[in-house]
Amino acid sequence: MARIRADPQRKRPRGSACAVTAVQYGAGRTVSTSGLVEGVDAAAVRARRSSVSWAIALAGCAAAACSVAMAHLSDHVPAPHLQSTLINWITLSYILSGVVAWWRRPQSRFGPLLIAAGFVNFLTTLSWVSVDLPYTFGQALDLLPPVLFLHVFLAFPTGRLQGRFERRLVATAYLTAIGLELTRMLLGGFGPHNLLEVTSRPDAAAVALRVQLIAISAFALTGIGVLALRRRGAARPVRPFPALIVESFALVLVMIAVLLMSVVLALPGFATIQRVTFVVVGIAPVVFLIGLLRARLARSTVGELLVELRADPGPADLRDALARALRDPSLALAYWLPQFGSYADLRGWPVELPGRASGRATTLIDRDGAHVAALVHHPSLDDEPELLEAVGAAAGIALENGRLHSELRARLEELTESRVRVIEAGQKERQRLERDLHDGAQQRLVALSLELGRLEERLRDDPEAIMRLGEARREIATSLEELRDIARGIHPAVVSAHGLPVALESLAARAPVPLCLTVALEGRLPERVEVAAYYVVCESLSNVGKHAHATSASVEVAGEDWRLVVEVVDDGVGGADTDRGSGLRGLADRVEALGGRLQVWSPQGGGTRVRAEIPCAP
Amino acid sequence: MRAVIAEDSVLLREGLVRLLSETGLEVIGAFESADDLLRRVRSESPDIAIVDIRLPPTHSDEGLRAALEIRASHPSVGVLVLSQYLEVALAMTLLAYSAEGVGYLLKDRISDVRDFIDAVRRVADGGSVVDPVIVSTLLSRRRRDDPLAELTPREREVLELMAEGRSNQGIADKLVITLRATEKYVSTIFGKLGLPSGGSDSRRVLAVLLYLRS
Repeated sequence: MARIRADPQRKRPRGSACAVTAVQYGAGRTVSTSGLVEGVDAAAVRARRSSVSWAIALAGCAAAACSVAMAHLSDHVPAPHLQSTLINWITLSYILSGVVAWWRRPQSRFGPLLIAAGFVNFLTTLSWVSVDLPYTFGQALDLLPPVLFLHVFLAFPTGRLQGRFERRLVATAYLTAIGLELTRMLLGGFGPHNLLEVTSRPDAAAVALRVQLIAISAFALTGIGVLALRRRGAARPVRPFPALIVESFALVLVMIAVLLMSVVLALPGFATIQRVTFVVVGIAPVVFLIGLLRARLARSTVGELLVELRADPGPADLRDALARALRDPSLALAYWLPQFGSYADLRGWPVELPGRASGRATTLIDRDGAHVAALVHHPSLDDEPELLEAVGAAAGIALENGRLHSELRARLEELTESRVRVIEAGQKERQRLERDLHDGAQQRLVALSLELGRLEERLRDDPEAIMRLGEARREIATSLEELRDIARGIHPAVVSAHGLPVALESLAARAPVPLCLTVALEGRLPERVEVAAYYVVCESLSNVGKHAHATSASVEVAGEDWRLVVEVVDDGVGGADTDRGSGLRGLADRVEALGGRLQVWSPQGGGTRVRAEIPCAP
Repeated sequence: MRAVIAEDSVLLREGLVRLLSETGLEVIGAFESADDLLRRVRSESPDIAIVDIRLPPTHSDEGLRAALEIRASHPSVGVLVLSQYLEVALAMTLLAYSAEGVGYLLKDRISDVRDFIDAVRRVADGGSVVDPVIVSTLLSRRRRDDPLAELTPREREVLELMAEGRSNQGIADKLVITLRATEKYVSTIFGKLGLPSGGSDSRRVLAVLLYLRS
């Protein structure tokens, strides 16, 4: 059974509609994806919600019918048929979309907000009635809907406003819409049914109207700015459908501003602008509704995913398949490696999950009670938990495979690193030994030999002493020769001190067959690389002398694109055994430990070619 | 004749100072590091600087760099480089441009007191000294159609001594032959190898070494 959890940083959802099971990793939302067992409570809640939804939808329809009736009975509504149709288009669009939204995402406030906007829109039509009380009430709400729409759009998708600025913006807009409307009604000019009229000051009322309209236009435009900023804040490419929803919201806000300003500026064609605006206002929730239903339809992409996964894609293709299924090109996969206590990518390299401030959302995927991976995705996917669940469940085995792959790579990486460390530690130790030998025994022997030489000069008249001293000096010279060979075998100090070309020239001069040496290097390379290359040439030439029966050989050393290529070729009998003896295995180990590779071609009778490629990142 | 020394082993440094003093050379400075040596060379301009190739602080190529610097900035000061191991490429670096007043010897050679003092004097006098190991390495190098195979054993000996930096007189002394015989050998060798004859001893060293190296 695959299980999906949302980012633990996020809050636990309210209600028990989703099957919420025990949380294993931190306090997070845990959602079962398959084997979903709903309790009796959940079923009861579902049934209750169903009936409430139907009741709201019916109430919305009744309200719409009511508006139609009021328009036709009104003595002051021009073109009542058209007017009531346009208003009801908005009312029903918001209420019905809101009902569906609430049904699909009961934990989100967005559905109720839509429903509220729809009903308030209906309440404004009370001003069509030629009866004092409903008229006064409806008129007082007249400019509330534009502000409600602003509230709805800014609260998308959670139903909650984000941050203090947005809350203040919306609150101020509400105050302007209601407060100035009431003020204007006090100042009169609304006809005989206005219960609030206390004086008749048409000039002041006109000023208040202008202020009110300009202010609400400004709030609408500010709302567009907020939406645009939010969009820019999302660093990764925005998933296409939520983007379209937000764009439709922005369009509504633009139209509201245009409509209100056309009143202020007394532009011609107000009636046309009003009709277009009403149509656009009603379209926005429909776009939202389509997006919502698409999320359900998107489950069909899970079917495609299953087909794709049946073809057993490599772990590298899994991310692309999931990105297609989730319609989120920015999707990133991070596998959980328990032994390392961290997430890693497919190469086994550790990755950090993005924090809450990054504008990315994270969904954790479990399988058989063990944590497998994390999906890092666009936050809008959080509104499609069903999709995430379905995709996570479908990809369970493939994700586990990917996780094993990542773990293998991570272990390999670790092994390689530890091999490099072992080699480097060994090299340091050898270097120290060589140094000790040089500064200790070798220097002492030379000094001793010098003393004997001086003594020899003093005893010029004693032939026997001279003979014996000479013998002693020769013994010392032999010891020094042996010590030099040992020291060179322990660590080629000349490589560290003077570089590869200098060391190679002496090797070449002592080569057992005529040798062509080509060195194309600029500057020094990391010591371990130079030493490895030196040993490759040294060992290969020694093999040429011992086994190849060659008449000539060549050594080519070239630095190319951050790697060192060493090639030793002879024209001997070939047939070198790379596995037993010949030191080739040891060379291969040394080269491979540095992330390089050693290749040997040695056909019978066809000479031998040893090629080492050693990466030498700076 | 005034000498300065840079050698980080105390034992060896003191041994060298005593040896040189006993044979009538004036040691005007014996140092552990290349920097001290360079300072003294600049201030005193000695006849010869004897430099260990491996000096502090890193014990890699400090001695070699000091030697090259003296060669470049004080051509009149002879430089004798001593080392526990010999590298053909380093010999050629030291002798690059000119073989005058330069020497490159294995440290062991110190104990052959007479030869060593002879080498010191030759370098101080502007001659060249190349360790026999370098020469024999170059001579024993495997070649296709080896022109050295044309040489008689005696000519080979003469060639070796030439490459070590010895003058005709030096060669004659070493092989116990006459100067004239030596001169004859030399011209035969140059003819067989196709080298232009003539020039000073140090030019001859360079020409022979470059020939052997190629």
